[in-house]
Amino acid sequence: MGRHSAVKTPRGATMGAGKATTAAGANGTAADGEVVARAIDLTKTYGDKDSQVVALDHVNVEFMRGQMTAIMGPSGSGKSTLMHCMAGLDKPTGGKVIVEGLDVSAMNQRQLTKLRRDQIGFIFQSFNLVPTLTAEENILLPLQIAKRPIDRAWFDKVVDVVGLRSRLTHRPSQLSGGQQQRVACARAIMARPSVIFADEPTGNLDSHSSREVLGFLKNSVREYGQTIVMVTHDPRAASYADRVLVLADGRITQDLRHPTYDEILEVFAGEGDEVEDGPQADATSREGAE
Amino acid sequence: MIRIGLRDARAHFGRFVMSIIAIALGVSFVVGSFCFREMMSSQVDQMLASNSDADVYVRGSEEQKNDETSLDMSSSSSSASSSSSSSSSSSSSSSSDESKSYNRIDESLADVIAKVQGVKTVSVTYSVSGIVLVGKDGNAVSTTGAPTLALGLAKGTWRAATLAEGRWAKTKNEVALHSFAAETAGLKVGDTTKLVYPDGAADVKVVGIFDTDSSQAGAIIVGLAPSVAKDYFQQETGQIGMVRNIGVYGSANDGKPLTAAQQRTLADRIGKALPAGSKARAVTGQQVRDDSAAATKKALGFIQPLILIFAIIALFVGSFIIANTFSMIVRESMRGYALLRSVGASPAQVFSTVIVQAIVLGLVGSGCGIGLGWGMVRLIVAGMDRMGMPMSGAVDPSPSDMLVGLLVGVFVTLIGAALPARRAAMAPPIQAMNETVNPEKPVWPRGVAGVMMIAGGAIAWLFCWRIALAKADNTVPISPWHWLNDWGTSLGTGWPLGVGAGLVVIGVIVLAPALVGPAGAILGWIPAHVFTVTGRLATRNLSRGKRRTANTAAALFVGVAIVSCLSVVASSAKASVTGIVDSGLTSDFSAMSAANGRIPDDAVKAIKSTQGVGSVSRSRMLLGVTYGSGSNKATAMTFAEQPSLFTNVFAPVTNSGDADKALRGGELVVGITVAKDNGWKVGDTVTVNGRQVVVDKEATAKAQADYQQQVQSKIAALQAEAQRLMAAGDAAGAQAKIDEAKQAGEDAQHVDPSTLVKTKTLDTHVKARIGAIIENSVYRSMVLMNDALAGKIANDYTMFTIMLFVNAKDGEDLAALKKRLVDAVKPYYVVNVQDREEFKSTMSSMVDQILIILYALLALSIVIAVFGIVNTLALSVSERTRELGLLRAIGTSNGQVRGMLAIEASMIAVLGTLIGVVVGTAAGVVIRQVYESNGLERLSIPWGQLGAFLLCSIAVGVVAALPPARRALKVPVLDAVATD
Repeated sequence: MGRHSAVKTPRGATMGAGKATTAAGANGTAADGEVVARAIDLTKTYGDKDSQVVALDHVNVEFMRGQMTAIMGPSGSGKSTLMHCMAGLDKPTGGKVIVEGLDVSAMNQRQLTKLRRDQIGFIFQSFNLVPTLTAEENILLPLQIAKRPIDRAWFDKVVDVVGLRSRLTHRPSQLSGGQQQRVACARAIMARPSVIFADEPTGNLDSHSSREVLGFLKNSVREYGQTIVMVTHDPRAASYADRVLVLADGRITQDLRHPTYDEILEVFAGEGDEVEDGPQADATSREGAE
Repeated sequence: MIRIGLRDARAHFGRFVMSIIAIALGVSFVVGSFCFREMMSSQVDQMLASNSDADVYVRGSEEQKNDETSLDMSSSSSSASSSSSSSSSSSSSSSSDESKSYNRIDESLADVIAKVQGVKTVSVTYSVSGIVLVGKDGNAVSTTGAPTLALGLAKGTWRAATLAEGRWAKTKNEVALHSFAAETAGLKVGDTTKLVYPDGAADVKVVGIFDTDSSQAGAIIVGLAPSVAKDYFQQETGQIGMVRNIGVYGSANDGKPLTAAQQRTLADRIGKALPAGSKARAVTGQQVRDDSAAATKKALGFIQPLILIFAIIALFVGSFIIANTFSMIVRESMRGYALLRSVGASPAQVFSTVIVQAIVLGLVGSGCGIGLGWGMVRLIVAGMDRMGMPMSGAVDPSPSDMLVGLLVGVFVTLIGAALPARRAAMAPPIQAMNETVNPEKPVWPRGVAGVMMIAGGAIAWLFCWRIALAKADNTVPISPWHWLNDWGTSLGTGWPLGVGAGLVVIGVIVLAPALVGPAGAILGWIPAHVFTVTGRLATRNLSRGKRRTANTAAALFVGVAIVSCLSVVASSAKASVTGIVDSGLTSDFSAMSAANGRIPDDAVKAIKSTQGVGSVSRSRMLLGVTYGSGSNKATAMTFAEQPSLFTNVFAPVTNSGDADKALRGGELVVGITVAKDNGWKVGDTVTVNGRQVVVDKEATAKAQADYQQQVQSKIAALQAEAQRLMAAGDAAGAQAKIDEAKQAGEDAQHVDPSTLVKTKTLDTHVKARIGAIIENSVYRSMVLMNDALAGKIANDYTMFTIMLFVNAKDGEDLAALKKRLVDAVKPYYVVNVQDREEFKSTMSSMVDQILIILYALLALSIVIAVFGIVNTLALSVSERTRELGLLRAIGTSNGQVRGMLAIEASMIAVLGTLIGVVVGTAAGVVIRQVYESNGLERLSIPWGQLGAFLLCSIAVGVVAALPPARRALKVPVLDAVATD
């Protein structure tokens, strides 16, 4: 159980809370760190022959342990599909998904359930919590579902980090949006999964709450070596990540290591309208285009 | 808009299936109940038309209170038919509601009537009860419930009966059978079989088979020779030359039945011809038929409300399922409605798109329901036919039935759809869908209202109990308040009981949502500890939609409450009966007639002479006994017993006096009910009026003289003829006549003198002292006396044995003795020897039969309730799509999802069943208490059965959770999460 906290990547340690730029690191590939999840030649198409939509087009990607990876891209670029396939929520049309050495794409329901219990944590954009359970019960839910023992010390730590000690007995409806997302984060971390998939975790939050949540996620990566894969629209959210993948039309078009906020904005500037504050960033040069 | 609604209806049709089933079931019960009632009443009308088909009846003019009905159930063809149909369809309500009985009239009136102008035939039909026909296979022929009727039939006595084959019976050893009886017995013309007459079995030959216009609902009708039937009828009633009524066929219509007007004219004419003081009255056949039909229909009346209760349950659940279904549909189509609104549709128009769907659904459901109801009645009729009770009544629903069904169905659907439709109409043009279910309004006001109603119901029950108590014991006041007491006494127990039950049931339904929270916590304790997560999730989900949960449970509640109430009553009835046997009955065996009539004297002898029999105590019933004098005579079932009755057979439960001493001392022992009705106390002296049938010496002598004279004159005539022939030279012819004359003389020697014995009825008046009043429930409504006293009041002709109690000799092997006893009475077919256990179980098996019908109804209400639970869960699952998706995304296995829903459903089911069992048992206890004095002396709560209901309900829940669970799991996790 202690394996994640043991693997404290040096990279995580070097990073500040802000946006330390390590442009060089972008080229450092995957040499350092261990691969937690990987997609091999991943393809996903929707619809029938006549009106086929390619959501993922032969994607190859690896996610490193102890990293926070952001997946960005315009609507319909396939970023959500990629995450869903990686998490075993969706079955790919072709290719393979390997998580912790296990072939997710070949799993049946039972195995998938086990995978979700042991290896994967989820944070969704909204409706993350079971409304009938208190915050504490929600946080402990995955462990109880999996009938795993509860590590009280770890629970206390997590609760303190997310700052929810005083709200533990509240129902989700009594919590603010930011608090709800923090509970969701705590729940995801509680089971110490190999990888947490977060689907627009700050999509519905104001900027202050967003910062809190992202700070917490970032912190968990740094402190406990948690692996997080996050889909987001928001360049500011992406700027918290160690690595940013940009998808367009089902392909990975950019793979940025520790990009700054400005760098991310730049990437989208050329592509236009997807990012709300894109136009400001058109001066900077493009980087990392393949 | 309507087009959109219709299109939506088609698109949602799959969704509607369950609603359609529910509506169809409800409507089918409604239509079925009407249909069934009409079928029964048309059957009754048909049977009466063919069975009491005379144009005019002459009957007694004074109404009589008659307690004998249960024993001589059918003494004339008209009342026979009504009792046959009522007892066949509802053996439980056999003879209490029958047509009024009148004083008997003299049969000689028939001669007077025959002379009236316009009378074609006058017939007196005697019927004999307790006859048993032995079939081809050597067993007694019997059908479920329907009795065997033996009528004295000859040509012209029964217009509706036509001979199909052979002829009518002429002697005691001949019978004509109704075609149904012949078919059931496997007999045909020319066959020889046995017929058990009240005084023993005789070999008879089937000489004819006849048909009647309508089916006889399974009654076995045996046509006896009229003179034979008359003999037995007179033995049975203890009155000579008296009949219940005389049927008259008019000639005005060329042998066809008269019209109502013709009947009236004929009746008036006959009425005038009847001698004054004959205490007779002529009434039209139509009136008699209408009276009997009304009485019979009243006796059958309880069936329809019973079916309707279940119809209401079905429709209640139905409206609920519809509300749920439309909630789901509306929820899913909210965007569509928002779009409609944003392009300019008014709320009313959106409302109408939903309502159109409801109407389509209601029409389809009701249509199916009408068909189903019709099929149901058909099925019942077919079932009854198989059970040996053919029905020829009309089974097809009338247009008005169908209209009622249709209206009910559509109305219920509209009610169910109204709320969701309103929600759709109120959709703002831009709908911001909110997944979280709006918090419910607080349920405590309902809780308070419900508790108050239940309290009101409980008070009504308490009141009812006090009334019953006061009735049973005059010294106990109903309440400390005078005005209430008077009111309560006049009110009786029925109303407070019913009002109390109604209040409690409705109160519980009102209260139920408030119960869901606490009940969830209590019931959820076990699942929450056994299945930590799923159990807790399930329990909390219940409290989310308290009203919905409560309403779903209510469907089960009502059905279970009815059934558990009745099982408590039934089991108490059984316990009371066995209690009598266990505590009171000390004899080893009892014997009674299976035909509910007399035990032939030969059978009594056979039992007495069986080896190993120690003592035999017999109960003989005295016919036509009245008490008191003048016009204020009271009747009571009166029995002659052996003086040893209270020491050897039944231990008395004495109210006052010494029962054993009284019986031995030739005093009356009176049941408490009789004593109370008449205000008798120990020490009172009453006049007992009875009848004795004795040989009328004068008339006999005269009859013999007449006969002698007749023979003499016949011989004389023959001899004269012989002389004349001799004179004419025809020696051979003369010799033949002489032989004939000799033969006639010899015949006269051999003639059975008993056929010439004329009897007459003597009225007896004996004063007797009341020696004791007893409370044994079997004796409550009886008067007992010893044989010596009975001998002064009645004689062998006016008493007959209805029950025997046999004690074995000491040390006798009871099993072997029983076998010997059974063998001894075998030739009498109708006599049933039972040991103590069997005696108990015959009583219980009657109760069990009634219970079977109830369980069938329970099963139906369970099916409906399962629909309700399935539907509620389906709605809940549809509302919780994302939540379930989330749970699965974080590792909930399919099994856990299924388990969670199963726990939820089981808890709904257990909640409904538990409240139902509690309320039903309470009602049962109250009913038992109230009717304690009517024989329900012991309270017995069938814990095992009630426990089984609860276990069953868990199973019901598990089953009901399957379809919604499948639906929840069919949605891919991703879709569930991504739904927005």
